[in-house]
Amino acid sequence: MDRRLRDPREVIRDEMVMRDKVLAALENGPLTVPEIAESLGFPVHEVMYWVMAARKYGLIAEVKDPDDDYFQYELVKSE
Amino acid sequence: MDYDVLVVGGGTAGMESALTLGDMGYSVALVEKEPTIGGKMILLSKVFPTLDCASCIATPKMASTFHHPQVTTLTYTTIGGIAKTPRGTFEAKLERKATYVDFDKCTGCQKCELACTVAIPDQFNFGMVARRAAYIPFAQAVPKKAVLERYGTSPCTQACPAGIKAHGYVSLIRSGLHDEAMKLILEAVPFVGTLGRTCYAPCERACTRNELEGSVPIRTLKRYAADRYYQLHPQPEYGPPEDRHNERVAVVGAGPAGLTAAYHLARLGYPVTVFEAQEKPGGMLRLIPPFRLPTEVLERDIANVTALGVEIRTGQAVDDPSRLARQGFDAVFVATGTWKDSIPAIDGVDLEGVMGAVQFLTQVAAGNPPNVRGKTVLVAGGGRYGIALDCARTASRLGATRVVVQFRRSREELSSVEWAIEDALEEGVTIQFLRAPAKLVGVDGQLVRVESAEIRVGGRDVTGRVLPGSVGPGTESMEVDRMILAVGQDVGSAGGTSGLHTTPSHTIVIDPRTMETAIPGVFAGGDVVSGPSSVVEAIGLGSRAARCIDRFLRGQPRIRDDVDADLIAVEKSRTLTRQDHYTTLPRASRDLRPAAQRRTDFDEVELGVEEAAARQSAARCIDCGGCCECHQCISACPADAIDFGMRDQEQILEVGSVVVSTGFDLFDPVGKVQMGYGRFPNVITAMQMDRLLSPTRPYNTVLRPSDGKIPDNIAYILCTGSRDFQSDNQLCSRVCCMYTIKQAQLVMGALPLADVTIYFIDVRAFGKGFEEFYEQSKAMGVNFVKGKVAKVEQGDDGNLILQYEDISGEGKVVRTEHDLVILSVGLLPNREALSLFSGGALAPDAHHYVKETDEDLSPGQTSIEGVYVAGSASAAMDIPDTILHSGAAAALSAAYVERVKR
Repeated sequence: MDRRLRDPREVIRDEMVMRDKVLAALENGPLTVPEIAESLGFPVHEVMYWVMAARKYGLIAEVKDPDDDYFQYELVKSE
Repeated sequence: MDYDVLVVGGGTAGMESALTLGDMGYSVALVEKEPTIGGKMILLSKVFPTLDCASCIATPKMASTFHHPQVTTLTYTTIGGIAKTPRGTFEAKLERKATYVDFDKCTGCQKCELACTVAIPDQFNFGMVARRAAYIPFAQAVPKKAVLERYGTSPCTQACPAGIKAHGYVSLIRSGLHDEAMKLILEAVPFVGTLGRTCYAPCERACTRNELEGSVPIRTLKRYAADRYYQLHPQPEYGPPEDRHNERVAVVGAGPAGLTAAYHLARLGYPVTVFEAQEKPGGMLRLIPPFRLPTEVLERDIANVTALGVEIRTGQAVDDPSRLARQGFDAVFVATGTWKDSIPAIDGVDLEGVMGAVQFLTQVAAGNPPNVRGKTVLVAGGGRYGIALDCARTASRLGATRVVVQFRRSREELSSVEWAIEDALEEGVTIQFLRAPAKLVGVDGQLVRVESAEIRVGGRDVTGRVLPGSVGPGTESMEVDRMILAVGQDVGSAGGTSGLHTTPSHTIVIDPRTMETAIPGVFAGGDVVSGPSSVVEAIGLGSRAARCIDRFLRGQPRIRDDVDADLIAVEKSRTLTRQDHYTTLPRASRDLRPAAQRRTDFDEVELGVEEAAARQSAARCIDCGGCCECHQCISACPADAIDFGMRDQEQILEVGSVVVSTGFDLFDPVGKVQMGYGRFPNVITAMQMDRLLSPTRPYNTVLRPSDGKIPDNIAYILCTGSRDFQSDNQLCSRVCCMYTIKQAQLVMGALPLADVTIYFIDVRAFGKGFEEFYEQSKAMGVNFVKGKVAKVEQGDDGNLILQYEDISGEGKVVRTEHDLVILSVGLLPNREALSLFSGGALAPDAHHYVKETDEDLSPGQTSIEGVYVAGSASAAMDIPDTILHSGAAAALSAAYVERVKR
């Protein structure tokens, strides 16, 4: 497998339009990054950028104990 | 001298040099190009071999430097050049980048960053996660202040004659902030729905995305914002402003220029009265057929003006505007437009059945259209603003059997109305380019035939302006019942310009810098000054008039071009080179009602877009200017610290000595294609791994970038881009072995179940405690394999297959699988240091580091007396060596300053 990846700058730029979709995917409960990617229909490595940006800016957080090899992420409840 | 010493570079070496010199009592200017000092050390997880926390060591040093009474720290600043003076001192040109944040007010609360709508790769996390265009570098940044990253004005924004922040509202729609998008547009214009339908969209022509597959549909997005907002808010949410001025302003003419001026003046608190000769406000906008601009949209746009308390008196023509000044208005703005058709001097224009476009459209708008049913209609068009096409499409809807438009210009010259040409052709209108009427023939005073002539393309002058075409030999005769002349408009002799200085064509003469007429307090703008223009240009002049009138009434300096100035537009080529490659996406086509259906009614032709399509279209924007000027940071900042008026500044300093501490560059492994970096997400650099291990990491722990999996079999490849002639870096980088062993130990602490393998040529553990550190890692279970990795491949599961020569074994080629590969990249010289000086360049050594002329006896002495190099600008070295070297450079620098002072 050696497909050309999208330029990271382009993927990161898409965060602004994908953020709401990531958050919507987590409305029914915590998911791992591959699970979020599957629900959105986007490549997992791209979804990784969007999930980690949402985490960085406090919109989602990891569930403390990882499920096997993957952490699950959940919505941060706004005060 | 301004300072005793200039230190260039705010990393470990720069901070240490500055502190040492400051402690000795010398005044120091420390210049750093990033918004924070700290260099690369503050980004590390821990330091070897002690495994002390890097942040815990670096942060106090950063704070000490920044707060040292003898040290002035100038972040976000680059050096434009340094030259030695005859006195032995140095003159340095500093280029201080505008931060667009008032540091005296900024509290570092990060609210601007949270509100910002532009995502950019975070250089402090080496692109592993996003930051924002408004950002604080990281939690321990010193100074902990936000900056706005602006590369210039985005071309779309700069192209807008009305000053609409096009990039801003596109970015807001992309982010789902639709109300905010509408409010941003309302900051500039009241006619949002109108422009969303009728603007010729210079923004789209300027869009950098045209260099790829086509522009972002910026006009359609404006319409989306307006339609959505107007549906939610049938009437404006606001009323007149609370703070009011006493000075009264009269506006003559309720067209786009007049009402826009009234809108802005009312927002500023002035009581405004608009006098309009027609029965309804809107001016020429009322003549745009409803299939392009529905009346209810125009009415709602005008409500944006009247909600502010603007009084519009319709049916009141003003012949002498200066009279209003005498009646107590403190300022008058004349924007009466061009309501008279220009009639060309050709035979037969006075025949029955011939009329001007304004006359035709006025009668249609008044509900009294000329009878064209069953007739053949010929429209002669000038072209630029699409009025001819409006007439043709209207005639078609009124039942004309055949409608023909003749343009003097070629289709290429009419690109501003290309969309209208397409729509008209779909609706069955015949369009003839490069053709114009030459003679109108009548019978019993009634038009029956038009003879037209071929027009030759006029070419362009040196400025690219299209020259008038000449009449060619080809003629054509056509049976015609009605003819509409849409070749131009004039102010006319009854244009409400009495008492004002006018040109022979009756346009008003103004001072273009102030928009004021010869009569003090009377201003003019829009088509009555410029001649016919587009809607958006008239609106832009209305906005400018409001600013001019406000300055006049407030007694402020009248000529202030800087107030209206944008930054220079970002060059498209510069924007496009930010990415290695682009994914092109099909441009969303305009959604229109079927031609067969729409040619029979006056309902709107163009349909709007839904939210999902709008956001997806907006996401094609490539953020040319960096910051999009959406102004969310202004709204979010509790300290009122955002200042878009800031500009880059130059500063000249005279200093006694210079310390060059510009640090090192990291090898970029993209060029080593066989290692897979940039192709396989799970191949990262050691610096990226250090970020993953740091407390301020981009992820919640060490995870694979491909899918967030916790890795359990990690490989390090040493000497990537160092000791490598192919990479033009034959030097050992001195730190890679130890930082790799450091990371291996940290990984084993963070991920106790993970296997760690280090592929090496040989391990160089030469410093104090290094060998013990190496042995400790082996004892912890780190697997050391002597072998040069030749290739990395990726499997379907994202795992990576390494192919290497097993040097310590049988010399066979071996393949192993790992789920994360770290490239221990080498250090390279920062060649920027070599271009700092003019008139006696700083000499490089054989490897392009800054040359030390006497490494043994005077470490730090460069080829220029008075200039000293500190730390890894001279050679790859670790942190303790950097501290020592910086002390030496500081001592030499102090000695030189003493000599200069004498």
